[in-house]
Amino acid sequence: MSQLDPTLDPALDLSLEAPRRIRRGFHVPGWLALLLSNTKSRLGLAMVGLVVVVAVIAPWISVADPNGFSLLAARQAPSWNHLFGTTDQGSDIFSQVVIGARRSLLLGFFAAALATSTAAVLGITAALLGGLVDDVVNVLINIFLVIPPIPLLVVMSGYVQDHGMTTMIVVLALVLWAFEARILRAQALSLKSRDFVDAARASGESTARIVFGELVPNMISRIAAAFVLVFYIALLVDAGLEFLGLADVSKTSWGVTLYWAQTNSTVLQGEWWPFFFPGAALAFTVLGLVLLLAGIDEFTNPRLRSEHKPHRSRLRMLFGGRLATREEGVS
Amino acid sequence: MTAAAPLEVQSLTKHFPIGSAVRRAHVHAVDDVTFELRPGTITALVGESGSGKSTVARLLAHLDEPSSGAVLFEGSDVSHVRRRRDVLRYRSQVQIIFQDPFGSLNPVKTVRHHVERPLRIHRVVPSNQVEQRVHELLRTVGLVPPEDVAAKYPHELSGGQRQRVSIARALAVEPKVILADEPISMLDVSIRIGILNLMARLKEEHGIAFLYVTHDLASARYVADDILVMYAGQIVERGPIEDVLSEPLHPYTRLLLDAVPDPATKTDAQEIDLRKGDTSAAVDPSEGCRFRARCPLAIEICSQTTPQLVEARPRHAARCHVTAPAS
Repeated sequence: MSQLDPTLDPALDLSLEAPRRIRRGFHVPGWLALLLSNTKSRLGLAMVGLVVVVAVIAPWISVADPNGFSLLAARQAPSWNHLFGTTDQGSDIFSQVVIGARRSLLLGFFAAALATSTAAVLGITAALLGGLVDDVVNVLINIFLVIPPIPLLVVMSGYVQDHGMTTMIVVLALVLWAFEARILRAQALSLKSRDFVDAARASGESTARIVFGELVPNMISRIAAAFVLVFYIALLVDAGLEFLGLADVSKTSWGVTLYWAQTNSTVLQGEWWPFFFPGAALAFTVLGLVLLLAGIDEFTNPRLRSEHKPHRSRLRMLFGGRLATREEGVS
Repeated sequence: MTAAAPLEVQSLTKHFPIGSAVRRAHVHAVDDVTFELRPGTITALVGESGSGKSTVARLLAHLDEPSSGAVLFEGSDVSHVRRRRDVLRYRSQVQIIFQDPFGSLNPVKTVRHHVERPLRIHRVVPSNQVEQRVHELLRTVGLVPPEDVAAKYPHELSGGQRQRVSIARALAVEPKVILADEPISMLDVSIRIGILNLMARLKEEHGIAFLYVTHDLASARYVADDILVMYAGQIVERGPIEDVLSEPLHPYTRLLLDAVPDPATKTDAQEIDLRKGDTSAAVDPSEGCRFRARCPLAIEICSQTTPQLVEARPRHAARCHVTAPAS
């Protein structure tokens, strides 16, 4: 390898065989192999995967109707009959937690998808077109950045009559897109000034192909990180709103269980389980996502790398990490 | 001289605005530049940093639009064409190689992608022959075995190999003109000669007209047939390279030549008559020679009238009141 590129990691050369072997053996897609090669993202992936599996099989493992009403069964501590205990109304908390996982995951996923795609489209468009479009997008970003999100959410959910999931997804995406849009815009700006973009133009590539074929593949890791980040912030904020009673509290979700636990002052009566189990489920999911994010960040930012496994660098490459490396080298 | 020039440049001018809207100034990056590129000829474009030589290459590559002047491709002005079909037709004949081999290839794409895209965009060959043509092109630029190289990512290649990929990409469309923007300046000295020889071979075998942008007179002398010397956006001297370098007319060309260390003389024996440079010579220039502040030969007229390119010797012109006076 040449000494001309000071940012080249000497490990790069040795790195090329490991992921291919994995791929050949089990037909693991490249990005997954990369996520699995990092301890943090592997753990995070396993945790999130567990929650997803539970959410999928929830109707078969929930032993009772999550909103079932039975005074005979009310306020029971965890037991073999009711693993996570019961609420004041006698509903089974285990069923509420596993069914509630569905709403939390769906909401987080779609809010993240909407916020990230908005951020990516607006950020990249602004960076590429520049001029007035860039100014307008920047003003929008700045407006949404200076508005404190939680009060805005409270006000919005107070005014919006319909508290369905779609509304919540849109509301969450609306307050969470701006931060990522700014980051993606900055990255697109730095990428578009690089020679390979001019080279693609000189080859005759259309603008659309330059964006989706040349620029976006270099931004995948940043977009993935944005997605995971918005995912867990959306989970937390949604649970918070539900806890405050600003969502539809007749539905089943972790935040709603917490809301009823708080409304009925269960802790004052010595009942810890209606708080603990949905809270632990939320914390577990968020921790999984945070670990996943930390793993992705490690591929893209070599300064954060905790260990030096050779195949890590392959990972950085597929995730556009080479760019991050070069930029780090300058600063 | 030989065949008709595929690419002709007439009074090409590019001004870049600088400063704020209140104190707006213009850099005359390229000012009234006229030359032509002939098939099977390498024309060197030399000058110091900021002289506008890379801007010329970018203008010719249709990456920037000139402020005025014309780029004539086979007789028709292409500098302002916008229609995608026309732009594509131009790009299929005129290609550019960039200076930075580390920046000009997309880090997440394989070598195959880089060479294959132009083939597909311009439908150079039917799509079932693309793979085969990619291998041929890689072989042409000396990247063997092509099957292995095609699957590699840019970071797996050395700087020289990457530059060869850039050349293969430029060659893919079978262009008549290749603009090489300092193709060797970022390479190890030991591999520069390989790239220069490759350019010379492509010139001979394919009759390609090269514009070789460089600041390195030695490599220009090695590979080029003609030379254009730029200073502050203007061509100050042009002619066959041997004539220009052996008997330079313009004091700036002399200065460039003096700046090349000569191993035959002792270092302290070499004295370069150099006055303080003024790099802002291209910012809103006033009438007069732009080199006058640094020129050892400057006389009164130099600050009053802008000199014109005058053919003082056959095919050898300079822009200087003293050495090439307008008769």
